[in-house]
Amino acid sequence: MTTITTGLNMGPPIAPPGSPEATDYSIAPEQVSLWQDAWRRFRRNKLSMLGIFVFAVVLITALVSIFWTPYSLYQQGLADITDPLSRSHPFGVDSSGRDVLSYIMKGALVAIEVGVLSAVITSLVGISAGLLAGYFRGWVDSLVSGITYIGYGIPNLLIAFLILFIFQRQSLLNVIIALSVTSWMDMARLVRGQTLALREREYVEAARATGTKDFAIMVRHVLPNALGPIIVQATFLIPQAILFEAFLSFLGFGLPSPDPSWGAMVSTGLADRFLAYHTMIVPSIALLVTLMAVNFIGDGLRDALDPRLKR
Amino acid sequence: MQQQSEAAAAPSSAWAAGKGSALMSLRDVYKQFPSGRQTVRAVDGVSLDVLQGETLGLVGESGCGKSTLGRVVTQLQPATAGSIFFEGKDLAALHGEDLRQMRRRVQMIFQDPYGSLNPRMTVGNIIGEPLRNFGLAHGKERDRQVQEIMRVCGLNPNFNNRYPHEFSGGQRQRIGIARSLILRPNFIVADEPISALDVSIQAQIINLLEQLQDDFNLTYLFIAHDLSVVRHLSDRVAVMYLGVIVEVANSLELYDNPLHPYTTALLQSIPVPDPVIEKDRTPIILSGEIPSPINPPSACRFHTRCPIAQPICSEVRPELLDYGNGHLAACHFAGKLQGSLAEKVAEESVAEIRAAIVADEPGGVDGATPVTA
Repeated sequence: MTTITTGLNMGPPIAPPGSPEATDYSIAPEQVSLWQDAWRRFRRNKLSMLGIFVFAVVLITALVSIFWTPYSLYQQGLADITDPLSRSHPFGVDSSGRDVLSYIMKGALVAIEVGVLSAVITSLVGISAGLLAGYFRGWVDSLVSGITYIGYGIPNLLIAFLILFIFQRQSLLNVIIALSVTSWMDMARLVRGQTLALREREYVEAARATGTKDFAIMVRHVLPNALGPIIVQATFLIPQAILFEAFLSFLGFGLPSPDPSWGAMVSTGLADRFLAYHTMIVPSIALLVTLMAVNFIGDGLRDALDPRLKR
Repeated sequence: MQQQSEAAAAPSSAWAAGKGSALMSLRDVYKQFPSGRQTVRAVDGVSLDVLQGETLGLVGESGCGKSTLGRVVTQLQPATAGSIFFEGKDLAALHGEDLRQMRRRVQMIFQDPYGSLNPRMTVGNIIGEPLRNFGLAHGKERDRQVQEIMRVCGLNPNFNNRYPHEFSGGQRQRIGIARSLILRPNFIVADEPISALDVSIQAQIINLLEQLQDDFNLTYLFIAHDLSVVRHLSDRVAVMYLGVIVEVANSLELYDNPLHPYTTALLQSIPVPDPVIEKDRTPIILSGEIPSPINPPSACRFHTRCPIAQPICSEVRPELLDYGNGHLAACHFAGKLQGSLAEKVAEESVAEIRAAIVADEPGGVDGATPVTA
């Protein structure tokens, strides 16, 4: 096999293929994975790191509350609601004389359960629907897009009421289902858009040319490349769900009464506002801090995973 | 090829001119895209044979439909009409699982070495995916085969756990080639596989493709807009203009004796790597842009830009006729350009180009004279 040199003087002749010197392996840049790169950018965002810290505290509190709270949730008459905050009851007691701190801790568990579970369910439903719609287009797309368009026209609260009405029972699971039914559509739209763009990429065409089946193309080629925006969207679903659950509970359509929801606590606190403010303020602050923390994390993730979106 | 189909065999004699048998036969292939209310006629009635073991170069300007034709041949896009015979089957009639199985025999090398590799997959997984798709090898055996094909393609086999972004353009193209080879196909469509690469890397990849053709007994449909690269690599060359084939000939024959005025013009647009000759040369310069494939010129597609166009050219569509020795051209005045209008300037310069290219043979090829169209 003859060695080809170019007409221009380009230095030594190029070796034939297969020989070890044919390729200069040192050209390959240092190994930095895409996720490592994203983590480096994320770490630089101070608010997001604060968000991670706060969320970790909430998470630990929730986990601890499974095994231990300062007082049992069923102990009433521990003190009077008008008593000043004290060492034994740092957040005071409510109108039935129950320890607010214990309730806040259990409330963290409920918030995290609602937030994370509905984010997971919503994501699974939304990703599947979006992938199918964007990849196959045609009638699948018409169906999914049609449902989303109609869904957007109906207020979320109405849908949630309807579902709680159908199930005839207020429980954590039903609240999560009601949340998921109303919020999967955003995720589906996002994933559909991503899929529509990604399916035109040359590597998807290459995958088809090598006989990759549709399902494998969706899972191996489309989904991993849409993961950045999906993670960001899923993160923002958590505070949305927490807030929506709190709102439902505030209205009295959330969890059944003994279950501690921050939203329900704000509601009863509001009713007791002529006796004391802390039963309203403490759960409000817990809610606010948690929501802000998760939103900060989401902002940081968005900047880290999609550098082009940076302001 | 023992399984040559009757349908493909029958009309192929005129095209193949007795040399070898056709591995891939296109008959009246059309590909149209809707564009609003209009239709883009990207491929407009192409009949072409690719012979067993040869490299057929397909050249033409950007937008002439050559990449679309490549995608139709590999059935990445279905043909609007026409037949594509391969190993006795009409690929255009295959669907679903039959079509998928066909992909083991017909593979494609893509133009963009950056866009054609999934950035979230390791190189080993990218190259091994075809094996996985057809359940041909698992676990360690798959790794072994992947590493072997990497070695064959000039890649370090120990880099199979790395990601595409860690490789240079030339290395990535080698990854793409390895992926298309691992199923041991017969037929490979190479869609401008070197046009996105550095000139120095182009030569490496061309050498690799030639080496692989010998080692794996491959047949190439090599799509390019660069005539000098095609000349080095191809046994035969087909020239495409606005969705139709205007000339097909043996590679040397086409460059020495172009019959279609468009081919003459394309050849003359190759710069000569000699300033003295280049200064005195007056190549035929085609005026105007390539017409829109939405509303292509009537009859002969080229008559709007042809230096020797006559009234008949806009009235009667010229057939692709054999002018001897398998040299096909679709022109009412095939071979006339050099004798008439181009006599003073063009013929000399064509001869000079040829002289220059021949003199330059060992080194002057591929990419050193990036070209044209």
